[in-house]
Amino acid sequence: MKPLIKGLALNYPVKVFATGFVVLTLLSIPLFWFRFLCESSLAVRMPDDAKGVSIRPSGLVPPELEDDPNVVIHSIVSASIHSELPQSLGIFDYFIARFPGERRSNVYFFSSERDCMYFDKKTGQIVRFYTDKQTMPDKTTREKIVQLYIGPEGVSETPGRTLGRFIEPIIDRGSARDFILYDKKLRCFFKIGFNQRTVIKGPKLGKDFPPHKPIQIGQLSKTTFELHYLDWTPPQIKVPDKKDPNRTDLRTELKPIIPTFHDCDAGPYLLVLDETGRVDLLDKETLEFVTGAPELPGVAGRLPGPETYFGPKGSVTPRELLDYEVWPLSLTTYFFENPEEVRVTFGDPSFLFKRSPARVERKYLGMFAAGLSRDGTALALAVFDENGREIKTEYSRLPKQEGRYTTYVESSKAVFFGAPWSPVLTIGKFLAENLHPPILSVASYFTASAFEADAGHRALFFLPNSFIAMMGRERSENIAERFMSALWFILPSIILAICLAWRVSKDAVVVGLSENARMYWIIGTLAFGLTAYITYRLTRPKITLVTCLNCGKMRRPDMAKCHRCKSDWHVPELTPPAWRVLKGAEEVDGGSTADAKETVAE
Amino acid sequence: MFALIKREIQDHIVYFIGAAVFSAVFIIMSISLIHQYDPKVPPVFSIGLGIPAVTIVIFGICAMGATQMYLDKTRKISALLSTLAVSRSRILLARIITGILAILILLVPQTIASGILLRIFTPPIPMFPGMVFEISLVVFLMAFACYCIGLQAGWNSNPLTPSLGALFLTCIFIPLILIKGFGVHIVVILVLFIAASLIRTWRTFMTTSL
Repeated sequence: MKPLIKGLALNYPVKVFATGFVVLTLLSIPLFWFRFLCESSLAVRMPDDAKGVSIRPSGLVPPELEDDPNVVIHSIVSASIHSELPQSLGIFDYFIARFPGERRSNVYFFSSERDCMYFDKKTGQIVRFYTDKQTMPDKTTREKIVQLYIGPEGVSETPGRTLGRFIEPIIDRGSARDFILYDKKLRCFFKIGFNQRTVIKGPKLGKDFPPHKPIQIGQLSKTTFELHYLDWTPPQIKVPDKKDPNRTDLRTELKPIIPTFHDCDAGPYLLVLDETGRVDLLDKETLEFVTGAPELPGVAGRLPGPETYFGPKGSVTPRELLDYEVWPLSLTTYFFENPEEVRVTFGDPSFLFKRSPARVERKYLGMFAAGLSRDGTALALAVFDENGREIKTEYSRLPKQEGRYTTYVESSKAVFFGAPWSPVLTIGKFLAENLHPPILSVASYFTASAFEADAGHRALFFLPNSFIAMMGRERSENIAERFMSALWFILPSIILAICLAWRVSKDAVVVGLSENARMYWIIGTLAFGLTAYITYRLTRPKITLVTCLNCGKMRRPDMAKCHRCKSDWHVPELTPPAWRVLKGAEEVDGGSTADAKETVAE
Repeated sequence: MFALIKREIQDHIVYFIGAAVFSAVFIIMSISLIHQYDPKVPPVFSIGLGIPAVTIVIFGICAMGATQMYLDKTRKISALLSTLAVSRSRILLARIITGILAILILLVPQTIASGILLRIFTPPIPMFPGMVFEISLVVFLMAFACYCIGLQAGWNSNPLTPSLGALFLTCIFIPLILIKGFGVHIVVILVLFIAASLIRTWRTFMTTSL
């Protein structure tokens, strides 16, 4: 049953696909906002008790300090979720990521034009500006702006090819004077000394086991505009109020047992985050990975996997976390000229001392690592000792009082049902996900872990934060069982698609689409649901139907046969009439009308 | 072809004047904003001012597309032109080129001015590498996509459908910038959307009876 207009048959699929994409895009945007509204509201309404997690005592403080009789509050490490989902929108991410010091910026830091450092892609060198005070012969000081160019082969005040080229450098952004750099392409660590103007090149990373693919060094965190805070407080002791030291009975102040300056300093080491989520220790002097315990060679720890809606996740990669932060803890011992004068501190607050110590000993104690789940609803906090052994891991949970007992619900579950109106918002999110094309929901299931966690919050077509995608990341059941149970999450979507496909099929018969076209439309509607239905309504042939003389149903006039009964056109044959109007009739002047009629009849 | 483009420009000269005026306003705005520039602070104020301004402009571009098609439909312009030695594909092509010209009149001076201003007033370090180009490209594509929406919505005899339809669809579409930012993803989506919209418009325009 071919249409009489052949061009229509050829161009129809093109028009359908074009219209389909337009509809898909225009439908996905309001659905995105609806999901975003529900998810933001859920995050805001999340119970406060479920937002935080803490470990006390923190486990890394040496026992002689932690168990000191003067200690009134033990050390504590805590992390909390900050529900600021709008920051995950693309426009904010675009600008934030290009802000100096952020992941898309080549400017490592910028205080002023006289104090900044950036990577010049054209020359492949790092450019550093700083102000140096010079003492002149007449003993006056003069400020001089120093501009240094740093390449893998050296440091110079003028750019040049002899310095070599960095290709894809990542730097320890925590320090500004001397810093360590890793080049992803050259696969080497470099130690840059500004004062000595030296570049020390470390050994090239081989394909040893475990393979190293560093993605961040030094200060390990995903965003500056944090979604969660990680905080550590040292053991606290009571001291009399300085304002009124005589009245020790009244107010007292709390202060750390030893001076503390927490600057993400790992003592003699540097933390290196691998793309697998493992955190390694790099020796700052030798620029080689530390070889520690035989079972954990040089591993400082790893990013903890938060408990998701469908259970805990043992290991995660940085890509899978919406945010993470790692804090090392180090103990520094300063020995002064007087052998009895020894000062012990957490971190490296040496700049606070008026006198320079004779000798400094730095000891790495371990690290704290916090990870925020992909959807921003669950937090995990882990403590690792100096050998990389996990001391303790805590997950964000909502305490619930049930009679005399307190039960704990995972925050990833509490967010959906634990707060007032949360169930309504959860249903709203669920329905919005079910208006999405079923085939894209299924694709979201299979590609659940492929997307960067941050990008999942601005996804239009694939939905990595949907319920079905959450199920896709679950690894406990076997593949078939998991997939079948995942389909339950898009059951309304499947039912809707079947209903719409039935309607399309019925209408396609009426408008006279061919068998093949009907089949394609049914498959398309089952796959794309509402999008396909709207596309069908916009592209269905708009032809005025006529009544078929054979079956009495409406048929298309542009087809050779009736698409309902397959009968041919019963068009009356256009036989010319036997009569004709002759010019002569007008010429019968004065003749009667009857005569004229006779003439016509002839 | 040039005659057709010239006729289209003459018919919609208001939009071209508007584009030139807005372009001048944007350049003045950029000059005043660059004085408050602080590399340590995110350009929140500029973004806050820029988004509504860009939105108004994009609505205008969309209105141009809708007007072009609506006037053609109601005044039978292409029906008349088809009686001359002009094909319908050329009429539509001239129309689309006119739309692109209007968008370029609006954006090109602004882009050049932004580039120059950033070079003059910002520190001589690669603070925003490629940012002006990326933002301008996305705004251009967004404006063109909305123009295409206007072309589709405007092909209607009822005056209410083109105006409200185009307005509604543009309102839905513009927030795509908020969702995706100015990166590669939005460029891909916009290019595909523009291609799909042009195919749809082309098919509709070519197969509709005069």
